[in-house]
Amino acid sequence: MAASALGWALRAARQVLPSAFMTQSRSYYVDWRMLRDVKRRKLAYEYADERLRINAIRKNTLLPKELQEVADKEIAALPRDSCPVRIRNRCVLTSRPRGVKRRWRLSRIVFRHFADHGQMSGIQRAMW
Amino acid sequence: MLSGLFREGSFQDTTSFTERLTKFSLGPYLQLPFSIYLSRLCLSSRKIQKLFSTSSVLSTEKVKSTASEDSTTEVASKSQEGTPETPKQKLLNLIGNMKVEVSYRKKLQQLKTREVKNQATDKLEGMDGEGAVLQRTTEDIKRGKPLNPELVKAVSAVASSLPLNKQQTESELLAQLRRHEETTDKQKKGGVINIRNIISEMAVKRESPAQRGVRISNRISMDFDEDGQRIKSERPSRQSSDSRRSLKVGRRLNIFTKASTETENALQTVSSPTIWDLEFAKEVAAVTAQPPRNGFEEMIEWTKEGILWEYPIDNEAGMEDDAEFHEHIFLEKHLEDFPKQGPIRHFMELVICGLSKNPYLSVKQKIEHIEWFQKYFEEKKEYLQEI
Repeated sequence: MAASALGWALRAARQVLPSAFMTQSRSYYVDWRMLRDVKRRKLAYEYADERLRINAIRKNTLLPKELQEVADKEIAALPRDSCPVRIRNRCVLTSRPRGVKRRWRLSRIVFRHFADHGQMSGIQRAMW
Repeated sequence: MLSGLFREGSFQDTTSFTERLTKFSLGPYLQLPFSIYLSRLCLSSRKIQKLFSTSSVLSTEKVKSTASEDSTTEVASKSQEGTPETPKQKLLNLIGNMKVEVSYRKKLQQLKTREVKNQATDKLEGMDGEGAVLQRTTEDIKRGKPLNPELVKAVSAVASSLPLNKQQTESELLAQLRRHEETTDKQKKGGVINIRNIISEMAVKRESPAQRGVRISNRISMDFDEDGQRIKSERPSRQSSDSRRSLKVGRRLNIFTKASTETENALQTVSSPTIWDLEFAKEVAAVTAQPPRNGFEEMIEWTKEGILWEYPIDNEAGMEDDAEFHEHIFLEKHLEDFPKQGPIRHFMELVICGLSKNPYLSVKQKIEHIEWFQKYFEEKKEYLQEI
């Protein structure tokens, strides 16, 4: 258990990019939930094609039903994290699961913070 | 003055009388093109003609400016040209024995020294009657390696014949002889590059006056394009007509050595860089990469990394689909392994219809989809036949 946790920690740690001029670089994900979300995204990307094809067999009316049942079982046998439904669009900076604007991938609080400081391109306070 | 023309390392810079004499003596021979000289002497050997024609091409280009100065010596030379066989024979013998030549300059130098000897012998024949001795000496110039005592005698005779400063002229003539011997030795050791081979390929271009007029008019007319560039349409046609001879016709001259094998070897040794080399290269790049001084350099860095797109934006950046549209749409040829009838065929036709309408996939990905279905249905064949 501890060893696996350590393994996950090592996987979580990202290498610092080799660059002479040091930009702000993040070595870790914000929290473990974010890490799990990252894993799910990766697996979903790997199994996307297979899922699509098996679902194509399942979801049509031409093929015999037995074949579709077999396909059902097959897709259930795939790893659970490979389905895209389990992905949550979290805030990139704070890992907040709710109140995340899709375009900026930021939660509302972070967005507001940056916009007020003029660090969001093309955003200004609305008044009309 | 001719002093500026034949600039060779062996010549002294101070123009002494002997040098001026040699140049003056050669003046008439060079002035009149050598072809005329040959026609008067009726020399028939082709080699000699070719040699003299090329040297005349060179020399007449250089010597045009000095036409006025050699009027006095012209008279003397014409009187010599009238003399009978002996100078011609001597010249023939000399030139027939000429073996190794490397450059025009050295050949001209040889010619000059030989002409000097000829002149000296002619003069001495007329004056002292030592023709027999001097005939031998002129022929021995080429053959004898150390300076012959006969040569030395000849030199002293020449020096005595000439009006000014005998000792100086003697020493200078001897020095020239020695240099001549050195150069011939060097040429013999340096390898045979027969200039005749090169010259045999070259031909003097005969210009018709009409062509010449056209050429001059082309040069004069300033035809400009819309952009302000000169119209160069005439030149490629001229060049193509000039180079009627192809490059690969004719004997190999062996002037240039093949360097291609060396470069191939160098490439082979470099082709396997070790990991340490890569690391070193990365380190060097990291150290030498300075932080960007301004926004432009920052944007350049970003573009290199791939963060920033390249402007003007290319809609197909990163997309390297070389397939034509018909490969995307007409996918029925991949359906050959499927059964012709039945629900599976129907299903696959729907799949193909959907894939053909998909602009986001490459042809490879579409083929992979179809192949996966094929594999899947083959695995399920036994199961399907039970039904």
